Amino acid sequence: MAAKIKLIDPPSSASSESDCNDKDNAILNDVDILEDIEGEKSSIASHDNISSSVFSSKLGIKIGTRQKISDVNQCIKKTVSESVLTSQKRTIYTAGRPPWYNTAGQQVEPFVIGICGGTASGKTTVARLIIEELDVPWVTLLSLDSFYKGVRSDKEKELSATNEYNFDHPDAFDFDLLISTLQRLKEGKKVDVPIYNFVTHSRESRTKTMYGANVVIFEGILSFHHSEVLKMLDMKVFVDTDADVRLARRLKRDIIQRGRDLEGVLKQYLKYVKPAFSHYIAPSMAHADIIVPRGGENTVAIQLIVQHINLQLQQRGFALRESLVILNKGQPLPGSLFILPLTPQIKGLHTFIRNKHTTRDEFVFYSQRLMRLVIEYALSLLPFKDVIVETPQSISYKGKRCTVDKICGVSILRAGETMEQAFSDVCKDTRIGKILIQTNRTTGEPELYYLRLPKDIKDYMVILMDATVATGAAAMMAIKVLLDHDVPEDNILIVSLLMAESGVHTIAYAFPQVRIVTTAVDPEINEKFYVLPGIGNFGDRYFGTEPQRKSDF
Amino acid sequence: MDSTMTINNSDPLLYQQKHDQVNKYSPNLKFLPCNDQVRELQTILRDKNTSRSDFKFYADRLIRLVIEESLNQLPFTESVVMTPTGKTYVGLKYQRGNCGVSIVRSGEVMEQGLRDCCRSIRIGKILIESNAETHEAKVVYAKFPQDIAERKVLLMYPIMSTGNTAKTAVTVLKEHNVLEDNIILSNIFCTPASVKSLLSTFPNLTILTSELHSIAPNHFGQKYFGTD
Repeated sequence: MAAKIKLIDPPSSASSESDCNDKDNAILNDVDILEDIEGEKSSIASHDNISSSVFSSKLGIKIGTRQKISDVNQCIKKTVSESVLTSQKRTIYTAGRPPWYNTAGQQVEPFVIGICGGTASGKTTVARLIIEELDVPWVTLLSLDSFYKGVRSDKEKELSATNEYNFDHPDAFDFDLLISTLQRLKEGKKVDVPIYNFVTHSRESRTKTMYGANVVIFEGILSFHHSEVLKMLDMKVFVDTDADVRLARRLKRDIIQRGRDLEGVLKQYLKYVKPAFSHYIAPSMAHADIIVPRGGENTVAIQLIVQHINLQLQQRGFALRESLVILNKGQPLPGSLFILPLTPQIKGLHTFIRNKHTTRDEFVFYSQRLMRLVIEYALSLLPFKDVIVETPQSISYKGKRCTVDKICGVSILRAGETMEQAFSDVCKDTRIGKILIQTNRTTGEPELYYLRLPKDIKDYMVILMDATVATGAAAMMAIKVLLDHDVPEDNILIVSLLMAESGVHTIAYAFPQVRIVTTAVDPEINEKFYVLPGIGNFGDRYFGTEPQRKSDF
Repeated sequence: MDSTMTINNSDPLLYQQKHDQVNKYSPNLKFLPCNDQVRELQTILRDKNTSRSDFKFYADRLIRLVIEESLNQLPFTESVVMTPTGKTYVGLKYQRGNCGVSIVRSGEVMEQGLRDCCRSIRIGKILIESNAETHEAKVVYAKFPQDIAERKVLLMYPIMSTGNTAKTAVTVLKEHNVLEDNIILSNIFCTPASVKSLLSTFPNLTILTSELHSIAPNHFGQKYFGTD
């Protein structure tokens, strides 16, 4: 069991830091979990009509087992890099985002922690320590500072220049925007958070995109001020630091980092900051679940908070893939499925790419031909209108034009990337987004690692590409990502070379309006989630990264 | 003329038969299955306001589809293969001994499409000049693979209005001992007159086209090559 740890640059857009696994622990746990899954599978398989509630209770147990692993690893020193585990010549990433929705595509709400406290009390430090200790990926840190309305009118600018503008009054904050932002984060949607510039006292024209949080930490001096905000917080922490310490920190920060002068800062402190603390901030301590004296230095309090959050997280989350396989088995194929008419050529192409003796050169060539055909077919499913055009032969000609002018491709890495060429060969000047989803080898669940999507993707018709769809777990995650970015469900086409029947059912069940386009549907999936008879591991065969040992594929 | 193919057959032979029923001219006239996407490509190529860069891009797309469909006319045999998962897949295998022949100059636009599907296929060329007044066609140049008589020939010519040029090309091929049954004329736009003229002279010839229309878009070659 020679496993070695290799640190690489973070492949992820996740804002979190993650841990570095202890090799021996990781391997042992691998084995334990595999046994757990085996045991559970047999018990699930013995029921034919399992309701989702039974599932979720079972899954709860499973999550529990999985969580234990991260407990074990928690004592291990953390690094800022994503961790990668290399074993048996395979590279395993260990910090993706597990599913945040159930088999019907329903959402699990992220856990929202509110941190409140006076100016320079150490709210951000506490938040950072919680993130580090919590050791879960996909944590979003939201600051009330981002929601400053800013100094807009000339009068306000004048006030601000003479330190007469009250930045500590609730009126200085855009609570409406804050509430809608928190609400969307809670729904798992993408949000654009304003960026506030402390030097110019105004919002910058660009925004910061936040997406995909399992835990949201919201901090600010007036975090507990608004009743709507309070309702959304699952846990409320108040950081209580001595006023002298806070003033000393504030002086240092405002003068060094924000370029102000001593007199101005003091004037502002006495006139606005201190009264605001007594008026608004100190009384809000009553809403807190936990009060942390001394801020970031208080490691005991932070440990307690983290333990509580971990407990809460264990009761959430889903394990999908196992349940996807048996879902909807034996039902007729859904109406949202479109299979490319099977011509002799297509069957011939399938024969080439399915044959295990096909060389990589031929595999790449023939799969690309097939991709071109399936993309052409997918485009034929878009809406068209009748038009009459003038011809150089001076007759008018009745034809058709597509009514969609914004089409973009999104590939599910790695295998889906192979279809990008075919897509850009048939669509002129289009945008292509990417989503990296990998299967966690320990849990068998898909995990989200990375995404880059065109801005305003919600206005586009999206061709989502993956070479093969087996259980549909990765496709579901990718569709969920698109929906979270406000792409309408009926604007999504998932295009694939080969799908398993169960994957088709899974997607159609969770997202009935998503059109599913493929060149063939195979009946079965094996225990390693490969389609049967299938084409093996498409990405490995295309990119030439097959493992050496036959039993490992 | 409407040749919509929506039925998904699991048997490729059935696909061909179904395909054969869709026209009233002759079983030897075949169509690229039509859908809105194909209609859009045809519309863009017909539209006089289409830019040259768009014209070439969309022409190449339509050509690729026509070539893929032409290849469906070639003979195949059943072939069973083993997949990497250890299961068997009952597929099919195309027979060897095919070649392409393009009619210069507009037929050459289809060569790349064929090359993209069959990387090492042999391609012959025929240059035919037709008299502007009499429409009489004359062979100026012809170069074929040596064993063309034993091969299936994919004859490429995108636009046919009278059919005279294609007729001359088929005659040349027959002079080189190619069997009439072995010739598939791959075409994008043709007129009913050209189809009647060709099939009455060569009843065993196969013609595959994307559209039958009384007016042929004769600007095709000029616009594609930018010589207008």
